[in-house]
Amino acid sequence: MHDTPTIPPAAPTCAVVVYAPGARRSTGFWRSLAVMGVNIYRSRELIRQLFIRDYLAVHKKSFLGFAWIMLSPVVAALSWFFMNAAGVLKPATPDAVPYPVYVLLGTTLWGLFIGFYQSATQTLTTAQGYILQIRYPHEALLVKQALEQVVNFAAALGVNLVAFLWFGVRPHWMILLLPLTTLPLFFLGAGLGLIIAVLGVVATEFRRLCEVGLGLMLFITPVLYTPAALALSPRAQTVLHWNPLTHLIEAARSTLLNGTLPDPLAFALSALFALAVFLVAWRLFYVSEHRVIEKLF
Amino acid sequence: MELANDTVIKVEGLHKKFCRHLRRSMFYGTLDVTRDMLGWRYDGGTLRQHEFWSLEDVNFELKQGEALGVIGPNGSGKTTLLRILNGIFPPDRGSVAVRGRIGALIAVGAGFHPNMTGRENIRLNGTILGMTRDEIAARFDAIVDFADIGEFLDAPVATYSSGMTVRLGFAIAIHAVPEILLADEVLAVGDLRFALKCYRKIAEYRRNGGALILVSHAMQLVRNVCHRSLWLEHGRVKALGETQEVCDAYEQDTLQRGLAGARLEEPVRINHDPLVRITKVEFRDAGGAVGDLFPVGAQLRVRIHYACGRVVTKPNFSISLVTVENIIAVANHSLFDAPGLCASIAGSGWVDFVLPTLALKPGHYYCTAILGEGSLDNNLDWHERAYRFAVTADGWPPMSGLFQPAARWDAGPTTPGGTV
Repeated sequence: MHDTPTIPPAAPTCAVVVYAPGARRSTGFWRSLAVMGVNIYRSRELIRQLFIRDYLAVHKKSFLGFAWIMLSPVVAALSWFFMNAAGVLKPATPDAVPYPVYVLLGTTLWGLFIGFYQSATQTLTTAQGYILQIRYPHEALLVKQALEQVVNFAAALGVNLVAFLWFGVRPHWMILLLPLTTLPLFFLGAGLGLIIAVLGVVATEFRRLCEVGLGLMLFITPVLYTPAALALSPRAQTVLHWNPLTHLIEAARSTLLNGTLPDPLAFALSALFALAVFLVAWRLFYVSEHRVIEKLF
Repeated sequence: MELANDTVIKVEGLHKKFCRHLRRSMFYGTLDVTRDMLGWRYDGGTLRQHEFWSLEDVNFELKQGEALGVIGPNGSGKTTLLRILNGIFPPDRGSVAVRGRIGALIAVGAGFHPNMTGRENIRLNGTILGMTRDEIAARFDAIVDFADIGEFLDAPVATYSSGMTVRLGFAIAIHAVPEILLADEVLAVGDLRFALKCYRKIAEYRRNGGALILVSHAMQLVRNVCHRSLWLEHGRVKALGETQEVCDAYEQDTLQRGLAGARLEEPVRINHDPLVRITKVEFRDAGGAVGDLFPVGAQLRVRIHYACGRVVTKPNFSISLVTVENIIAVANHSLFDAPGLCASIAGSGWVDFVLPTLALKPGHYYCTAILGEGSLDNNLDWHERAYRFAVTADGWPPMSGLFQPAARWDAGPTTPGGTV
């Protein structure tokens, strides 16, 4: 028989936690952000374990295992190559970057943004089964969700880089700044996703509206085409200009391919906008997650 | 909130509301979230249209090392109370103060991943339950030992039997050694051997100062484990006090309500002689008062009224008492028990079957009454499980057997010089 651990005496040393109505509402904005930050830091091990469970364990029951993570970017790359080689898609691209390279990187970045969005919308539903049973900081789930996207993105980027070499494109050293240039994509995607995670439970309309909206966004963001392709239509140019995703994706793509930032001011403003969306969403999540959990099941 | 040094939970004026109407619930949810977001103060402690109190004005305290039973019918708010104590739902009015880590033994094994091995799941589940890496490492062997999963440790949990899964889940939860343990109907699982192991573990946990809140429908368990009990009914505290008193009152109430509310299953009445009828069956106490609720140990008289349009020679009256689980607890026949009761009957009259000491386990019983002639297989009028009464505990020590006869114990030495 092994030693049984003794119960720590429920001592006067333990802090008293009080649950009362409106406790979260009356916590200040910055303080609530700090509380969640600390919670995430303290939940490192939980995030690690949940990541193992939800990301790695899924592949245990398949022959290809982790090869699945690479498979979809490879298929995506091949399909763009095929269409390009078949002459279906051969638009002009800036700086003589081959179109397959341009579109591959663009869709990978767009995929990262959508991935952040979708995984954030599932922040509370991913833990079904124990979210009503056990208390733990749910913000840890958001980090775990985002981590999964980062790993997927890294795999896709690896495939992209191989494709680039095939087309004779050498990425600029500023590829190392990718974590920085894609951070606003996380803020915007996860921010929108968190807002939907909260509102989508209360009323499903929000989720549907947002999904339709994001589907449209793909067409007003230079992912599949280049801004130059729209040069003739000033109205389309205006729409593109006011779309923060244009600048966020352009910045990430351009620094990687050429080491340039096409419109630093627009990028800075878009990044600030993304951060603002994220902070609002973060606060919303903090004040209302309980209410959402009540209505979840 | 101030807490006395040895108090681990203090609940004051706790209210929690829910909404019955789906659309309205969506509307209220959107409204509340908006107001929370904008920081507007509002009174959430009142009911709006279609809302109801799931918990209303609940007050209690739990001290270190104490065990509190929470009982009540389904939908009385027990699980909601646990969720509020656990910090999963916020209160709508009133407050809850908690000192120390809360561990939940609710639906153990929630969060297990079937593809992961037992070893991996211990790490995962332990972390979810709030253990640090070092704590899990230190208690790992004790957990495996307690769960008794042997060579399955490195097999995926999907290959476990349901019993093994439950054992592993319980083992992890109990080794998380929180200061306060919340248990919701979990001790009813697993085989007997494991259940006994769990009781011992919980007793040890409490000796070490751990506090326990146990939600259960198993009254016997609550009586054995808890000092005090809280009886919830429609979200309100109906009683709070010594477990024995509260449980007795609750059982009494349940039995009474069962008699009033439950309809008898379509009773089978078979008549082979239209001239001979059982007209009525009554249950009477020692004083002769008719009723359907009798305390354990009291006298019970079952009175059969009959009406005969002809002379029945050598009549036989049979009475059986059957539990709701269809176990025949008592079956007596006047032809055997009292051959000289009456040589023949005609017209109308009554016969009493008397149990001087009603030594049946508390619960509901059906009563079958038969009037026959000459032998046991010649039934003239047969009312199968057509009547019903209940036995209440009423302060008797808990009975686990169905029947507790007045027995005698004798003792003697087997070795010369042995003493008794």
